[in-house]
Amino acid sequence: MNLMPSRRQALQSIGCGFGMLAASALAQREARAAKPANPLAAKLPPFAARAKRVIFVFMQGGPSQVDTFDYKAKLRQLDGEMQTFDDARVLAKTKEIKQHRVFESPWKFKRYGECGQHVSELFPHIAEHVDDLCFLKGMHTDGVAHGPATLFLHTGSINLVRPSVGSWVLYGLGTENDNLPGFVTLQPSMGNGGPRNYNNAFLPAVYQGTAVGRAGTPATSAQIRNLRNELVTQEDQRKQFEALREFNAAQLADRPGDQELEAVINSYELAWRMQKSVPDILDLGGEPEHIQRMYGIGVGNQATEDFGRQCLMARRLCEAGVRYVQVNYSDNGNNPRWDQHSNLEKHADHALATDQPVAGLLADLKQRGLLEDTLVWWGGEFGRTPYAQANGTGRDHNPYGFTMFLAGGGVKSGFSYGETDEFGHHAITGKVHMHDWHATLLHLMGMNHEELTFMHDGRPFRLTDVHGEVVTEILA
Amino acid sequence: MTPNPDADRLVWLRRLYFDLIGLPPSPEEIEAFAGDESPVACETLVDRLLNSKHFGERWGRNWLDVVRFAESSGGGRTLLFPDAWRFRDYVIDSFNRDLPYDQFLTQQIAGDLLECKDTDQRVRYLTATAFLLLGPINYEMQDKDILEMDIVDEQLDTIGKAFMGMTIGCARCHDHKFDPIPTSDYYAMAGIFKSTRSVIHSNVSKWNTTPLPRSAAEQADYEKHQQSIAKLEDELKLAKMAWSEAGGKPQNDVSGLRAVDPARVNGIVVDDAMAEIVGDWTESTHTAGYLGKQYIHDASEDRGAKRVIFRPAVPHAGRYQVLVSYSASSNRSKKVPVKIEHADGHDVVRVNQKQRPSIGGLFEALGDFDFEQGPSLIEISNQGTTDGVVIADAVVLVPAGQELAGLMRQAAERMQSEDELARIKQLDDEVKRLEVKLKTLRKSVPQQPALMATVDAAATTDIHVAIRGQAHLKGDLVPRGVLGAASWGTFPALSKGTSGRKELAQWISHPQHPLTARVMVNRIWYWLMGRGLVSTVDNFGSMGSLPSHPELLDHLASQFVQQDWSIKRLIRAIVLSRTYRMDSKSTPEAVAIDPENRWYWRMNRKRLPAEAIRDSLLSVAGDLDLTYGGSNIKAGTSIEYGYQFTSTRRSVYVPVFRNHLPEVFEVFDFADPNTQSGSRTASAVASQSLWMMNHPNVIARTEQAARQLLNRSFASDEERIRFAHLQVLSRPPTEREMTVATSLIVPNGALEDSSSASSVQRYAMLYRVLFQCLAFRYLD
Repeated sequence: MNLMPSRRQALQSIGCGFGMLAASALAQREARAAKPANPLAAKLPPFAARAKRVIFVFMQGGPSQVDTFDYKAKLRQLDGEMQTFDDARVLAKTKEIKQHRVFESPWKFKRYGECGQHVSELFPHIAEHVDDLCFLKGMHTDGVAHGPATLFLHTGSINLVRPSVGSWVLYGLGTENDNLPGFVTLQPSMGNGGPRNYNNAFLPAVYQGTAVGRAGTPATSAQIRNLRNELVTQEDQRKQFEALREFNAAQLADRPGDQELEAVINSYELAWRMQKSVPDILDLGGEPEHIQRMYGIGVGNQATEDFGRQCLMARRLCEAGVRYVQVNYSDNGNNPRWDQHSNLEKHADHALATDQPVAGLLADLKQRGLLEDTLVWWGGEFGRTPYAQANGTGRDHNPYGFTMFLAGGGVKSGFSYGETDEFGHHAITGKVHMHDWHATLLHLMGMNHEELTFMHDGRPFRLTDVHGEVVTEILA
Repeated sequence: MTPNPDADRLVWLRRLYFDLIGLPPSPEEIEAFAGDESPVACETLVDRLLNSKHFGERWGRNWLDVVRFAESSGGGRTLLFPDAWRFRDYVIDSFNRDLPYDQFLTQQIAGDLLECKDTDQRVRYLTATAFLLLGPINYEMQDKDILEMDIVDEQLDTIGKAFMGMTIGCARCHDHKFDPIPTSDYYAMAGIFKSTRSVIHSNVSKWNTTPLPRSAAEQADYEKHQQSIAKLEDELKLAKMAWSEAGGKPQNDVSGLRAVDPARVNGIVVDDAMAEIVGDWTESTHTAGYLGKQYIHDASEDRGAKRVIFRPAVPHAGRYQVLVSYSASSNRSKKVPVKIEHADGHDVVRVNQKQRPSIGGLFEALGDFDFEQGPSLIEISNQGTTDGVVIADAVVLVPAGQELAGLMRQAAERMQSEDELARIKQLDDEVKRLEVKLKTLRKSVPQQPALMATVDAAATTDIHVAIRGQAHLKGDLVPRGVLGAASWGTFPALSKGTSGRKELAQWISHPQHPLTARVMVNRIWYWLMGRGLVSTVDNFGSMGSLPSHPELLDHLASQFVQQDWSIKRLIRAIVLSRTYRMDSKSTPEAVAIDPENRWYWRMNRKRLPAEAIRDSLLSVAGDLDLTYGGSNIKAGTSIEYGYQFTSTRRSVYVPVFRNHLPEVFEVFDFADPNTQSGSRTASAVASQSLWMMNHPNVIARTEQAARQLLNRSFASDEERIRFAHLQVLSRPPTEREMTVATSLIVPNGALEDSSSASSVQRYAMLYRVLFQCLAFRYLD
């Protein structure tokens, strides 16, 4: 047995800057894991996990499946013709089925890799990785509008306040780094549910997602709130903290062994450590230039700069032991980024901004051996219609059929599962509902979605409510 | 087991202040109480605090937790509740008046259906029903049948938990698994709320509102205004006639005119000067035919990055024609995209700016669209305009179908004699003067704000069971009624045209109802003692916990009802009890037998809530604004995102948005307004510590407190440190604390101090330590 801690193990326990403490921190963590007093202590999953951590790359607004990965020859044949479609929005509003203009993709498709997966010219970089990817082309979900569907994607519920997927994962597995939060969301949107998308809801507050930065502000300024204090000198901060330690110790002495008070004292100690370790993790300055370039940082292309930084931060956080990282390609509007109701060409801007960063993340995870036990999940809250909205230049929302892709952590690679109909409108075979995907994600993390429950309101709750089936077909 | 001795007098004092009014006692109040040797000193203090207006602010907030109060709808497309503050004030006021709880409850469920003696009472009763409308609702939901049932479900769920400690919601889809609530009972109650108008439908629906009733004096004032307006309108008509007889002609053609005054345009006008401009736009007056002082253009640069956003305020929901103005020229783009966000989504219309605008050479019509009330959004951008310059000048909304002639009223026709022109000009000035006067007068009409309130629906009806909760799968029809299991008598037959809400409220608030009084008494016990006699305060069902002291609960409940459901009398009895007075320290012997303090051998230690942390900080800094009641959301706020919480008023008045809370609330376990919950969690997370150590507000307030402290005269630094302790911890420092504090303030006898910190900074550090330490964070 190799007694030297691997680079990753070391990073996990030291969070940078605590090198000498690595061994003891590790020992302490293990000791604590045995005694479940710390709700965030790393726990072993009930059964063997294929993935230890998750990176969710959220494409907000609903990228179109028929313009990216779900190639449909039929759209070219019938382009411009009026056909009958049961449009989700029209149906919900008027209960009518109407005619819509078939709208072929303006982008050319090509086959890539050994698996021969179709990818449009929107994603030339991601296309290079298709042999590592697992496509879910029969996705369907609940919610026709952004708000409901975004909340459904993140919490499995449209209207009721439920914990986020990341909170459930953290609740089930704890965290592997005592100096960092266990669930981080990078630059999340304030709209379409905002914080509810990374909230713990009824789970204890320690399981809530920690926002680093927010949508609409540059990734270079992304930081955890209140981590820095420019108003008080370092020396005075230290003095103040030492005085606080003395006060708390004296006050605790009055109530020896009080676990609740000890927890508060521990929260101060963790905060103090985070002040030192988090800025290091988020500082990309130490990353070699060739790594930065993989993500599209400093390649002379402004478009990829921001999302590239997010993706690179995600890798660093994962590497340091953060259990669940969400990367958000988001803004704060009611019509978020990929939401091309008109002017479908704008999809190209969003593809450009995300293609190289995501491909870079995949390549970098792979070269570090991290992809084996990291689950990468790419997708939006729904897809788009294969026909033009209101006979115009864009596509409306489509919750009936769309595509997501996965990589790493126990899923088949170079694989595609499920199909939509000949137009790309409805999922017809290999259908995976969002609840099914949630169940599968928990399964990959070594948890049974029916058994990961929390008592609330007098009954046990779970991420998948009373639904969800594990998609065994995609398991490697 | 032996109960603990009484707590130190000052420990009890601090408990009492925070529990009853949510504010710390001042050092003067502490000294006065410590020296008060009267045998009724405690009773006197309790009565003083119960009669303070701050009592309602503290206890009103407790109730606001129970009823999931918020000032926005939350969910995906969150909407502001601009009038929810009235409900908050109603709650605060009801606690201060000691409104009997049975009436308090009845007003919230059925206030609009109660008889009342005057306008003031009517306003209060109506306001109370906002209780039913404050839920987290996705008004954006497209299937309105489902939306309506979701609202009903949310109402039933809240009523069940808040008043009866029952989780009724489960029975929406199946007979309740744990409690005796069959699905038919659920739909019997649901029928009552389906027969209540709670929502007004649109693409994004809205809660029901009722105009705020006017008092007799306000009504008289309003009518007076209306009369003046009618008179002025007559005058204006005459003036226009005179102008037109003298040769003035309404016309739309602006040919030859360089600029048109926006005030002359009839419609909802937004000029570029009032628009939100993204990217670099150049002002110009080069080409004639524009509105206002100038127009702006994109200089054909940064295509796709420049936008001008116009937000015409739509006065009433309805259909409007959208017009844009631009000064045409051959170097313009032929496909300028104008995006129109309307009630049904959005459309992009391309405008050819090479072509002279078809209406009067100034406006081009883009079509008719439905708009909802409030600010709309019309955006001109230079996306894809590779063929020329983009002009943004103005956007006008005109009610659809309205005659466009007269869109622009021109004063003078060309080719008239100078005398005639002068005369027309004079008459035109008169028209203008009257128009301005009318506009001002109209603006000064006393506004009639909208109340969030329910009314009975036009059609009241029993409803069908929805199979598995699916709104479109109809089961049996169920007559409206109440829960069979918790019934103490038969539900009255409902007369035609009534929803049954009043009968429901009377049924719940009846002294014989087995749960209502017990649930409320238990809540009050929880708020004061830190744990309910039934520890699951919102769940008295079989999945909740059993009462630790059933006889005590019954006794308190029957006393509560006998004493006319008086909340203040119950609170007074509890806080003056020996149980509340006990020390909260643990002894190893007692912990060995009863670690959870189920038998109350000690007082429970309680976490100081977020509001008390914020209010204490402001109070010690001398910055707390104690204004009582009133609206609080900043004027002009249209959405919660990005809202800056800068108010220094008490926390109960800080807006509660479902997707955006002030950080101090979020971090310190404020009640999540997205769910009904009568109890709060007490977490210990790093974000709390980071806030305490580094938040700029904490730094600023503690520095302010330090400055104030240094402005007072004290005999020594010890005296000063003692005073700061009294302010923050409501007690003098211990010996150890004094030593540590002194070393912070006077390090190494002041001589060898390496730090360059000023006295203010040193005392600010001390204040921060005091606010951070365990003794502040908890009520012992």
